Amino acid sequence: MPSHPLRVAVVCSSNQNRSMEAHNILSKRGFDVRSFGTGSHVKLPGPAPDKPNVYDFKTTYEQMYNDLVRKDKELYTQNGILHMLDRNKRIKSRPERFQSCKEQFDLVISCEERVYDQVLEDLSSREQETFTPVHVINVDIQDNHEEATLGAFLICELCQCIQHTDDMENEMDELLQEFEDKSNRPFLHTVCFY
Amino acid sequence: MTSNNGESVGARTCVASQFFKDDKIGTHFSYNMFSVLTHQVVDLLNQAALIATDSKLTVLKQVQELIINKDPSLLDNFLDEIIAFQTDKSMEVRKFVIGFIEEACKRDNELLLRLIANLNMLLKDESVNVVKKAILTFTQLYKVALQWFVRSKVMSEMQEACWDMVTQMKEDILAMLDIDNDGVRTHAIKFTESLIITLSPRTSDSDTPKRQEGDISLDKIPKDHPYIRYDTLCEEGKSALEQLLKFMVHPAISSINLTTALGSLATLARQRPMFMSEVVQAYETLHANLPPTLAKSQVSSVRKNLKLHLLAVLKHPCSLEFQGQISTLLLDLGMSQNEIARNTPPINDDDDKEEPVAPSVSKPSSVPAAQSAIDLTAEFLRPLLSPENVANLVLISMVYLPDVMPASFQATYTPVESAGTDAQIKHLARLMATQMTAAEIGPDEEAGKDEALDDSLGETSKDLLIKRKVPVVGQAISVVGGGYTEKSQLETPQVKRLPEPILPSTQIKMPGASGKRKVFRLADVVQPFTDAQLEKMTNTAVKRILHSEKAIAQSGMSHVRVKLLSRLVCQFEGIMMDDVLEFILEDIRTRIDLAFSLLYQEYNTYLSQQPAGLLDAYDHCLFTLLAGLQEKPEQRDGLFTKLVLEAPLITESALDVIRRYCEDESRVYLGMTTLKELIIKRPSRQFQYLHVLLDLSSHEKEKVRSNALSFIKRMYEKDQLRDYIEKFALNYMQLLVHPNPPSLLFSADKDTEVASPWTEETVRQCLYLYLSLLPLNHRLVHELASVYTEAIADIKRSVLRVIEQPIRGMGMNSPDLLLLVENCPKGAETLVTRCLHILTDKVPPSPELVERVRDLYHKRVPDVRFLIPVINGLEKKEVIQALPKLIKLNPVVVKEVFNRLLGTQHSEGSSSMSPLTPGELLVALHNVDSTKCDMKSIIKATNLCFGERNVYTSEVLAVVMQQLMEHSPLPILLMRTVIQSLTMYPRLGGFVMNILSRLIVKQVWKYPKVWEGFVKCCQRTKPQSYSVLLQLPPAQLTSVFERCPEMREPLLQHVHSFTPHQVAHNLFYELACNSGPLVEENSTQDSEEKMEEPVEEPMEETSTEPADVTDQLKDSIAEPETDRTTEPETGAGDAE
Repeated sequence: MPSHPLRVAVVCSSNQNRSMEAHNILSKRGFDVRSFGTGSHVKLPGPAPDKPNVYDFKTTYEQMYNDLVRKDKELYTQNGILHMLDRNKRIKSRPERFQSCKEQFDLVISCEERVYDQVLEDLSSREQETFTPVHVINVDIQDNHEEATLGAFLICELCQCIQHTDDMENEMDELLQEFEDKSNRPFLHTVCFY
Repeated sequence: MTSNNGESVGARTCVASQFFKDDKIGTHFSYNMFSVLTHQVVDLLNQAALIATDSKLTVLKQVQELIINKDPSLLDNFLDEIIAFQTDKSMEVRKFVIGFIEEACKRDNELLLRLIANLNMLLKDESVNVVKKAILTFTQLYKVALQWFVRSKVMSEMQEACWDMVTQMKEDILAMLDIDNDGVRTHAIKFTESLIITLSPRTSDSDTPKRQEGDISLDKIPKDHPYIRYDTLCEEGKSALEQLLKFMVHPAISSINLTTALGSLATLARQRPMFMSEVVQAYETLHANLPPTLAKSQVSSVRKNLKLHLLAVLKHPCSLEFQGQISTLLLDLGMSQNEIARNTPPINDDDDKEEPVAPSVSKPSSVPAAQSAIDLTAEFLRPLLSPENVANLVLISMVYLPDVMPASFQATYTPVESAGTDAQIKHLARLMATQMTAAEIGPDEEAGKDEALDDSLGETSKDLLIKRKVPVVGQAISVVGGGYTEKSQLETPQVKRLPEPILPSTQIKMPGASGKRKVFRLADVVQPFTDAQLEKMTNTAVKRILHSEKAIAQSGMSHVRVKLLSRLVCQFEGIMMDDVLEFILEDIRTRIDLAFSLLYQEYNTYLSQQPAGLLDAYDHCLFTLLAGLQEKPEQRDGLFTKLVLEAPLITESALDVIRRYCEDESRVYLGMTTLKELIIKRPSRQFQYLHVLLDLSSHEKEKVRSNALSFIKRMYEKDQLRDYIEKFALNYMQLLVHPNPPSLLFSADKDTEVASPWTEETVRQCLYLYLSLLPLNHRLVHELASVYTEAIADIKRSVLRVIEQPIRGMGMNSPDLLLLVENCPKGAETLVTRCLHILTDKVPPSPELVERVRDLYHKRVPDVRFLIPVINGLEKKEVIQALPKLIKLNPVVVKEVFNRLLGTQHSEGSSSMSPLTPGELLVALHNVDSTKCDMKSIIKATNLCFGERNVYTSEVLAVVMQQLMEHSPLPILLMRTVIQSLTMYPRLGGFVMNILSRLIVKQVWKYPKVWEGFVKCCQRTKPQSYSVLLQLPPAQLTSVFERCPEMREPLLQHVHSFTPHQVAHNLFYELACNSGPLVEENSTQDSEEKMEEPVEEPMEETSTEPADVTDQLKDSIAEPETDRTTEPETGAGDAE
């Protein structure tokens, strides 16, 4: 078991719901965790499916919150967006883009296959330097509050199991197979190098 | 993993500089600073030696910062102190030491000479994490070392030794490709990648990352270096690539290793385009032969990686030549044509925009590669792939298909869209060529060699060509068919050369487990349960099955559940039996299937253990079920009967339950019906069951008994049971000969008194069965007689009481009964008599019976009592003959005889059958010879007749008197009867006068007794009798007056009343006047004594009268003179 806490990155599209939910839980459980989005913009549901609220990654959660309160407080209270932003701003100030982060992790967990692809693309496009491995695992989570919560717990359990392995890299395969069987969903898994 | 990234180093610098700022040392002299730093480092190192790991790391990092970045001159001084930590027990500290070595060597290459051995040590550390870190560091230091040595034109011995060690370590790490740890292998792959890059020439088309611009590569190695040989390095590089490719095609490669290798190949292709051919071929081979050990999701991951890396390769300008192959692969991987096109580098079709260098340089490296063995084979195959050949190939291959579709195939299979097109045939040819080359089959080896394929790279590729030999992997599909097997024989040695660690055992385990090399032993991870746990789990498991009744019924699998349950219960030797039985009894109607299944299972178990098997479990099961049913309030569903009749075997205890059923008054019928069925349908044990029923025939409860008897009677009709029943009945009856009732007659609770006397009840018990059988089989009656003779008096009495019904049932025509009468064993007379009485009680006796009795009477036992029952069947003469004996019997018996004779007992008109009329009887009585019978008995007998007033009417009596009158001598009792009749019927007075008159004619006075009665009669009938008296001759009249002096006076008066004419005619007048005083009382007394009481009374009255009767007589004779003539006439008229 590594003596340092696992350095984990949780990545979703907009660094709002799924990654933040997992971020929340993982940090409470003592992981060294950061969360990211891979999208080019931060998108939040709007008054209609084709009218999302789009922000760039520089916008703070606070600003988004205020913006939405101003636009339609009732709607965004009712669909839980304000609650989510409120939670998010207490974790960190603003969403972060995975591609912009140069920090190294032991484990990157993506929340959907598209995000996984983007993470892989980004990591493999970086120039290799130290050859330190980073494991990338995809856990498919639907982008809604309930699934985000369930998914976050699954991620947390997964991380705890990995944290408790004697030799993470050696046992990862088997561990993931067990998790696949248990949770009845497939995990994409690969390794990249810094 | 901690200290070697730029950012964190930067951060640490920051911390350190802050540290100095805080201490305000930064502004001091360098000398001061130096000494201060030294002190500080010493302090920190001292601290580090004492404190715990976490803070130790922090402290050591501070030291590193100080001596490497702040003042490298200190490095040498403290090197040993830091390195000393490489034996620290903390893995993290050792990793820090490795990081320190890297930093130190990078800072001062000279240190390599001192530190490389330490790194070598750490490379063999016990902790894989330390080893990994050492590999990462060595990856960096290899380049550093090479660069450093290449720069120095002259190598010292130490340097040479150092390089030798570096070379050795390189080999060690390459060997780690086969190590037993996934993570270490991953690091080894990355090292190999880096090594190949270093040991191959960078070309103009190399896509080198900016950061590695300054890194050394083969092209920078001088060919004239004194110690480091260019050729050697070149060969080492090629060999590394070879190893990597070989590693990649291992069938049991883990998905992470595969992913890593794929990435490495992509890097190689981009940075060293000369290897692009090998890379693309490796990709093709892999795509066609994904390791069978991969799980489904791993296949997806690998394919995704393959796609990513192919795209990366495709983007490289040198991919031009391989675009066809890459696009085909990408299409197969599910990428759209458009996407591929977008990622393809612009093809320089336009002549004006010629690429300056790249194509020209790439050509020499790529062209030979393109003409590899695969290409040749593919070219050779293409024209051969006619539809017919392909069809044959498919058919042949069918034989080799595995039973189960491998996950990899399932994941990668995409329907062939362009079947039959040229492109597709080309692709197919290439796929086959890949396989064939792997199996080292070529179209024409000689030809291939001739065509200048001896180019080094061509050779390499040929050797390297993917040998996906999968000798033992079950899931692998051999695509090449027969040739393959042949080849694989030849290839065996090569297969064995594969280092063991990768495949610890020849068994291929679960796909997901492939990464893990531990041998799995079940015993290591499981502990045996305790018996209690086992039992508990067994019980709960069975209970779950038991209570899932409805759910299973809904799925229509009830029969499976039933079977399962019964087997389980039996196998566990009945631990669960009681629960299951209880469950069944809760609702036995619907769970009868389970009950039967259980029973049969148990029985089966018993049978299988023959001959030593015990029936206990079966018995318990059957008993509980039956007893449980008995406790239920009601069943009209016949479950009990069903259970009993369908059970494979009825045990003793089960039979007891059945018996209890029979004894239960509310269920007696059900119980016995079941028992009857058992008797009939289970011939092998029918006597056992029959015995129970027979036992019940003497049961104390009447209902039970009568039911049992009626069932037995039905059974009795069956020949095979008859003997047994009969024997039982007779045995039981035989008990009667014992002086005391045997204990078996008592139910267990009552059998306390050892020698209680026979009672009516116990006697009956012995006879119930027998008596019910008797009417069915008359022969049995003889047995009764023999028992009867031996039995004590009490029993005899009881027997006589109970036989009425059956004897009557037999009827008097029964030959056996007649035989009994005929034989009449000695001692059985009363029995026979009783039988006769019963038979003739209501019916007149049949001639046969009479005949038998007569015979018996006359020839053997002259007891007149035998005759009584059949008396009406006898002839008149016989009756009269027997009469004297009969009337001497006990008055009660005599009464019965008379009843029979007179037909007064029964009203069915049987009296007409009587051989004697009442009159004849009475007459016969009068004629009984007084020597044979005392007068007293005769008088009693006649009295009995007179008692029957209905029979002896005045007419009958008149006839009797008339007949008696005719007899000569006159019967002694004549006058008694006359007087008696007159008393009963006073209107017979006239008739009696007539009788009296005729008696005078018969000279009645000659019969003293009759004369006496005559006088008495006259006395009682005065004054009517005066005229009769007056007919007497004078002597007799005198005798009358002597006997009855009181008569004289009235008679005299009667005569006085006569007219003279009348007197003249009356000769007795004088006699009457003179003889009056002659009457003596004494003589009257004497005669009176001989008369019987009823007649006596009026005579006494007269005797007590005053003596002077003579006057009265005269008066009485004189007075009624006028009517004298008319009176007798009227009396006679009355009598007529």
